[in-house]
Amino acid sequence: MSYGEAFLLGITALAAIFSTIATYMAIMERDLLKAVIFSAIQSTIYAFIYYMLMAPDIDLVYIPVAVGLYPAVIIALIKKTTREEKP
Amino acid sequence: MKHWIGICILILTILAISFVVAANINVLVPSTNVRTLAEIYLKYTYYPWDKYFTAMSPEACTSIVWDFRGLDTVFETMVFYLAIIGAIALARGVPLKLPREIKGELGLSLIVKTVTKIVPVLIIAVAGSIALHGHLTPGGGFQGGATAAVAPVLILVVFSQFYLLKRGVNKNSMLLLRSIGLTGIGITAFAAVLIGLATGHYAFVLQNQPKPLAPDISLPAFVGGQLISGSLWFFNFFEFLAVAAGFTIVFLLITLPEKLAEAKEEKHVAEGGEK
Repeated sequence: MSYGEAFLLGITALAAIFSTIATYMAIMERDLLKAVIFSAIQSTIYAFIYYMLMAPDIDLVYIPVAVGLYPAVIIALIKKTTREEKP
Repeated sequence: MKHWIGICILILTILAISFVVAANINVLVPSTNVRTLAEIYLKYTYYPWDKYFTAMSPEACTSIVWDFRGLDTVFETMVFYLAIIGAIALARGVPLKLPREIKGELGLSLIVKTVTKIVPVLIIAVAGSIALHGHLTPGGGFQGGATAAVAPVLILVVFSQFYLLKRGVNKNSMLLLRSIGLTGIGITAFAAVLIGLATGHYAFVLQNQPKPLAPDISLPAFVGGQLISGSLWFFNFFEFLAVAAGFTIVFLLITLPEKLAEAKEEKHVAEGGEK
């Protein structure tokens, strides 16, 4: 493995850790709108990871669905219900 | 503070798992060599020298999705179709119509609207390129359709639903487009059989290139010198229409202003109907 390859894989690993933090925040957040934004951040990082792992086909469907359409559905749902998650 | 403890535990767990994997690198990490099955797919995806096994498309994913395992994808398309039908059935009786009078300016600010006038055109262009080049470069019908569906969502949010309804993007027109897409997928799937019936030869459903048992029937891989990979281009194009229209219907129904739906229901109850 060359140094460049190791560097890129290291960045991917770091991105994976950040995506886990974003997922944790999305689950723990009581404000649902913020939770959707954390979830979209996780999706964006996943899109980057898919690209780094040389899966452009799945990336092309993942970006519009997970970064565009899915947050839009959830935000529309939050607008029609309540923003705060009740314990 | 509570979050930081959780995040620290999470990161430590990830690092611990990474350490365990790295320590047992020969056991837990899969080999980097290409497996035999992958080798066969990569070899035969574009291999004009053996016309019985190739899909005549340099894009391995599209050839797998629409040729090597075409029937699975047809069932996937059916599942997505049923999901959209379910969404439409849930919103039955809800009108998607323009109100008689629209008070005031709808949608977001002028700056956002000006930007949004340009962006959907680019989104549709990129989506078309992803779908129509799906047999040559990464991408395909579903990817292109999902990308194209972002454009109406953007317009719905920025300009309001009435902007789309006024320009003919409503439930019925999208349902028509979706039906055209699905009919196209069906016709493409049966194309080889229909040609076989007309010419008196043996052929398969979802057949693209000639097969050992049906050597006489094949869909053209090149049209006018351009590689279209037989049925793959048509599958991608019709799937693009079906997916884009399907997502648009769902978003039109989801973003329906509730006051309109409630007004319709009250009228229905007032006329003696059941709630």
